[in-house]
Amino acid sequence: MTALLIAIGVICAINLVLTVLLLLADATIANYGSCTVTVNGEKRLTVEGGRSLLASLKQEQIFIPSACGGRGSCGLCKVVVLDGAGPLLPTELPWLSPEEQRTQVRLACQVKVKRDLQIRIPEALFSVRQYQTEVSGLVDLTHDIKQVTLKLIEPREITFVAGQYIQLEVPPYALTDEPVYRAYSVSSAAAQKDAVELEIRYVPNGICTTYVHRHLKVGDRVTINGPYGEFRLRESEREMICIAGGSGMAPIKSILLEMARTRNPRKCRYFFGARARRDLFLLDEMRELEQALPDFRFIPALSAPDEEDAWEGERGLITEVVARHVDDASQAEAYLCGSPLMIDACVKVLREKGIPEERIFYDKFA
Amino acid sequence: MKQSLHDDQIQSQMLPGVLTRDGMLGEDRRKLRDILEADDAAVRRLGLTHARIAARMRELRDVGAAGLGQALDVLDHFEVRVDSARGGLPCPFLHEGLFAKEYVEVLNRRSGERLTFTELNIHMIEAHGFYEGVGSFFRQDPQALARVLEIQA
Repeated sequence: MTALLIAIGVICAINLVLTVLLLLADATIANYGSCTVTVNGEKRLTVEGGRSLLASLKQEQIFIPSACGGRGSCGLCKVVVLDGAGPLLPTELPWLSPEEQRTQVRLACQVKVKRDLQIRIPEALFSVRQYQTEVSGLVDLTHDIKQVTLKLIEPREITFVAGQYIQLEVPPYALTDEPVYRAYSVSSAAAQKDAVELEIRYVPNGICTTYVHRHLKVGDRVTINGPYGEFRLRESEREMICIAGGSGMAPIKSILLEMARTRNPRKCRYFFGARARRDLFLLDEMRELEQALPDFRFIPALSAPDEEDAWEGERGLITEVVARHVDDASQAEAYLCGSPLMIDACVKVLREKGIPEERIFYDKFA
Repeated sequence: MKQSLHDDQIQSQMLPGVLTRDGMLGEDRRKLRDILEADDAAVRRLGLTHARIAARMRELRDVGAAGLGQALDVLDHFEVRVDSARGGLPCPFLHEGLFAKEYVEVLNRRSGERLTFTELNIHMIEAHGFYEGVGSFFRQDPQALARVLEIQA
């Protein structure tokens, strides 16, 4: 019996020593010390080694867009790493075209800062900032879409272009033990600088949407960063065809508000798809925009209206409705926002109607 | 069959935080090989094959995808909504390529039962006979699939 206890004691002691050695090794061998990240050949940042490039840049208030929280599953956080990143990782390969691999594009979330790095990022990202906000409004637009209004606390104003998006930080809660970020288009007018409005659709088990729909309250503090994105109104006099569904309403609404503010005379048709009456929202606001804009028409369409909807408007999938309404669109340009499935189907219809691909602008955030 | 080193490597991809936030094993503490064998046996008891189950899931996904994110009434008494988000996920069985972040919600109006599965679920069932571990959010119980999707032997 004594021998058994001694043996157990010896094994425990060995385990303890090994654990201490491992901890020491982790703290010393894996300690990369301070590293210098040179951005665009000018800006030199001193960061603590060992973290991802994405996290290190965020620490220095440089925000690279990312929709998956750094898991390498969205492919958004692409930066050019000219030196110091080491070989491409298997987790990056699916996201990078041969041309991107050749030009040293990497996923910032997968590159670990272990030595000095030289990177290149778009200049526009230097204007991205982090904002502390307070929830000043929560409105159920439909059974699964919430409008969230965030009043800016610090800094007190944001400058963005209608159509752009921000990233919202979800703090640790039941579904996540670390902060995560999700991208949402701003739906409010760009001229309103002291607040941003978002339209967020509930996604089953979604970290951010569950947080917003089930936990967020008026008065809560929320951190956001932005603005990001190239989705915006192009300067031209061409007819506009806008198509959206669900929370894809957000950036289109922001663009329309900007057009109303600047009294933009362009012809614009906005096709909005939903299943039934209960999935439609902001109808009054769209009618007001029809009054405010000289040549704007809002065309909601229901794919499966309920009997009690007594719907007299357009029926069918949004692609079918667009196909019915649009004849020759070769001179038009199109603005789309919705799920990747919807965007792909709409692009196909618009191409058939004669719009060249380079005049179809879209935001594929679901 | 005994769990191989290759199985260990695959199972490590299924842990929380590797490919997905919650992983694909839920609270299941069994070896991957045991999970696969148990579900394979369940499928055989139902008189089905993994290919047959995956084919029915894909059939519903394909007709539902026409709704472009809205629920569609399909195949007599099913309501199917297919939605997608930006990005993709790799298969934990170490293939190349990515699967769209696409989820399919199916309501069997006759029974009132619902199921949600992903594009990756369809692939993992079809190619690997993997239905995810018990307790995983996207675990697809073979019996529930057969019942709700009305898959005939």
